[in-house]
Amino acid sequence: MKLRFKVNPITFFWILIVGILVAPILLFLLNAVSPRSLSQGDAWFTIQPFRDIAHGQFAQGLVNSFILGVLVALLSAFLATIIAWIVLRTNSPVRKIWPFFVFALLLAPSYLIALGWQRLIEQRGVLDILGFPSAGLRNIFYGPIGVFIVLAVKGLPFAYLVISNAMRSLGGEFEDAIRVHGGSRIEAFKTMATLLSPAIWSAIAIVFAESISDFGVAATFSSESHFPIATYSLYLAIENFPANYPVGAAVGAVLLLLIVIALLLQARNLRGRSFRTLSGKTRPFRRIELTKRGKFITSTIVLVILAVTLGVPAFGALSASALSGVGSPFSAHAWTLSNYKSVVTSATLHDPLIFSSKIALIVAVFAAFLAAFVARLLTQKKAGVGSQILDFILLAAVALPGIVFAAGYIFAYNLPLTNSLGIHLYGTSALLGLAYLAGALPSTSRSLVGNMSQLQESLSEACRVHGSNAIRTWFDVVMPIIAKPLLAAFCLTYAGTLLELPVSQLLYAPGQEPLSVGIDKALANYDYGGGTAMEVLGIMSALVVVAVAYSLFNLLAPAGWKRIGASREL
Amino acid sequence: MNSRKEGQLVIVKGASKFYGELAALDALDLKIEPGNFTVLLGPSGSGKSTLIRSMAGIERIDKGSISFGDVIMTDERTHMAPEKRNLAMVFQDYALWPHLTAQENVAYAIKRRGYERSHGEKLVLEMLGRVGLAQKTKNYPSELSGGEQQRVALARAIVARPSLLLFDEPLSNLDADLRERLRIEISTLTREIGASALYITHDQSEAFALADRIGVINKGMIEQIARPETIYEKPATRFVAAFTGTAGSFFGKVKELEEKNCVVELGGDLLKARHTLPLKVGQKVEILVRPAATSFSDSHKNRIHSTVLDIAYRGRGYEHVIETKYGSLTGVFDSISHERGSRIEVSIDPTKCIAFPIEEISN
Repeated sequence: MKLRFKVNPITFFWILIVGILVAPILLFLLNAVSPRSLSQGDAWFTIQPFRDIAHGQFAQGLVNSFILGVLVALLSAFLATIIAWIVLRTNSPVRKIWPFFVFALLLAPSYLIALGWQRLIEQRGVLDILGFPSAGLRNIFYGPIGVFIVLAVKGLPFAYLVISNAMRSLGGEFEDAIRVHGGSRIEAFKTMATLLSPAIWSAIAIVFAESISDFGVAATFSSESHFPIATYSLYLAIENFPANYPVGAAVGAVLLLLIVIALLLQARNLRGRSFRTLSGKTRPFRRIELTKRGKFITSTIVLVILAVTLGVPAFGALSASALSGVGSPFSAHAWTLSNYKSVVTSATLHDPLIFSSKIALIVAVFAAFLAAFVARLLTQKKAGVGSQILDFILLAAVALPGIVFAAGYIFAYNLPLTNSLGIHLYGTSALLGLAYLAGALPSTSRSLVGNMSQLQESLSEACRVHGSNAIRTWFDVVMPIIAKPLLAAFCLTYAGTLLELPVSQLLYAPGQEPLSVGIDKALANYDYGGGTAMEVLGIMSALVVVAVAYSLFNLLAPAGWKRIGASREL
Repeated sequence: MNSRKEGQLVIVKGASKFYGELAALDALDLKIEPGNFTVLLGPSGSGKSTLIRSMAGIERIDKGSISFGDVIMTDERTHMAPEKRNLAMVFQDYALWPHLTAQENVAYAIKRRGYERSHGEKLVLEMLGRVGLAQKTKNYPSELSGGEQQRVALARAIVARPSLLLFDEPLSNLDADLRERLRIEISTLTREIGASALYITHDQSEAFALADRIGVINKGMIEQIARPETIYEKPATRFVAAFTGTAGSFFGKVKELEEKNCVVELGGDLLKARHTLPLKVGQKVEILVRPAATSFSDSHKNRIHSTVLDIAYRGRGYEHVIETKYGSLTGVFDSISHERGSRIEVSIDPTKCIAFPIEEISN
């Protein structure tokens, strides 16, 4: 039999997926059981790295991460359910402002939220300067409570998106059916909660996974308050000299195992239960008309949550960036724009922002392009084994902690084998870009799958039988229909990459620091004003890019493109 | 609409298509003469969609060939891309591109066929006017009703005057009134441009109303292909007879046999019927009764006692469901209504009921 190797775009695509997504992670995790196969120890097979992490700081970090993950997931799901009910089922005035803040929360990385809190409550921080004693708050926040709050803030938007989507598709007829058959409001609510339970379980599993994977809070609150959590233990294992990859890999493997268990438990809870609530006959629900008191109470609940989640950290960052001498016992304090001026004038401060902007733009373009391709592969009618494998890889990669991902890169691209293959990417910005791309691809393509699967095959088929070839069909039909979600994917990837922390921290090339590393360095040098001004400018620049992208779309896209997915006023 | 084109000659030879173990098409043969309007009638899963999609080039058959004239479109080595086949198709779900207006949807077909811009635009507007959408050219599909959307799809298919038109159950999502109106438009417009047409449906009334020829398809094979009158009057198999409209059936034994007719013994009654397949005296048969065969008049000797089970008012008269000793019949028409429970004799026109040997039922 003659073997023929055919190089086509699909082959190239698979090489890319294996090279940037599969190989680095697997090679890194292999360290945990077979360090010798990767020249990291003497044993071909061992469980010693797992024994090493079964006590001391590593074990404590894992236990802390687990307990925090469970508590954060429960709190986020609880708050998200209440907010979703207020926003979607009542006429509370806050329902109109909440969706905007959800996306702001989604965009804000946990380390920036943590830094906002830190600037506010640290010794000689903003509260101290403004004359409010903060020692009490500091004692509470620097430790498990601070970590818990920041993680809950980051978990809330994920839980809200999952639960609100389910609540939106839960028509009013279920509630009406209970009431007309003699059920009380409480019984109707209980049934609603049961019908929403798949979404609530999903929200708990997702927030748990996000929380135990988080590195931003680990690198800020957790490290400074000596409250160990798993992701920081992993970071220390591979960043300390000499690096201990087998132990880092063991921590990574346990983290992954915890995530898999959470997802399996969620699946088990839902086994055999069908809660399909959306059909062609689903009737829109009626909003509950609240009394004045009801409006006041619901608005207060949402505004308090907003104040804690976004208001406080935003105030912390903004005020610290506009005050001179934050954190310094010697300087006088005054409101000033000098911190912003120094970012503009100092290359050390503005170079990371420029560098990150450029690389984020490149990554976002490539990620959007590749994600559209991947989403099409996953949703085509004749999906084969390849598509199923790809689907699994992407799902697994979505759940993968960013720090494990970064560790995989740092390890795999530093191997002698990689160098002998002529791949000399270690320590370059190209590797950083590839890691950003690989990190963004799973979630970006999963986010497009929903839209792509709504694309009826017959639309493309109609294009083909009316005279267009496959490429033309893609641009004439597929592209316009997914343009908006693609734009959203671009914007999310851009903002996510611009402000990314774990991959940046581990993979940046010397002299080309990304924004998060630049901020970290400025803060490490006690330039709190400059560091927070960089934070604020970073977020502002992300918002500007998003605004420009959407404005260009609105200005240049044909009218029909803008209609797709637009809400219809009933 | 004055430029007639020659329709395409389509030849399908031994077409087979498998989905795993299941044969969606089983060595199917079909020939569509130029300008002929052929309807394939069959139940869900009979293979009709697979055939039409294979002709369009969207699916590829595993065995056999499809040729347009002398040119092979698909065989075991060749598969011409859909865009190169010079055909057009109307889809069941309309498949209108949601980001384009009605005019842009129709113009798409023109652009891709290389018409001159100004001439193309004129043709598009003319065609939209022809299907009654002159006032809605700038509307997006979401702003049109189901019937209007299907009209745009029809205009899009016809505007470039392809030599072959494919219709994939285009009326199945519409209500009865709209179906009838659009059926007429499909019939007249397709014939005006002179294209060959293949139309698939599971609705026998639609098939009889539209077709020059009807093919009845079952389990991936065409059981009979002929003029509508032949299909109705001389069904080749029990399946063809059953699928093209019956009021009910009776089981019995052949008592007397003539060349084209037979007398069947049903318990205590005798019923005369036609037969299209060879029978023997004493053989067990099933008599399929066409709706038009039944009446409450005494015009035929073929009469059976019955009881009225149900009545439905149909405007021009009443349709009755009746119960006999040998089974029930539906759609028994009379201009006056007969009370539920009343006993009455039903006449059955022997020329409109056909006896099939029981062995044939396995078909």
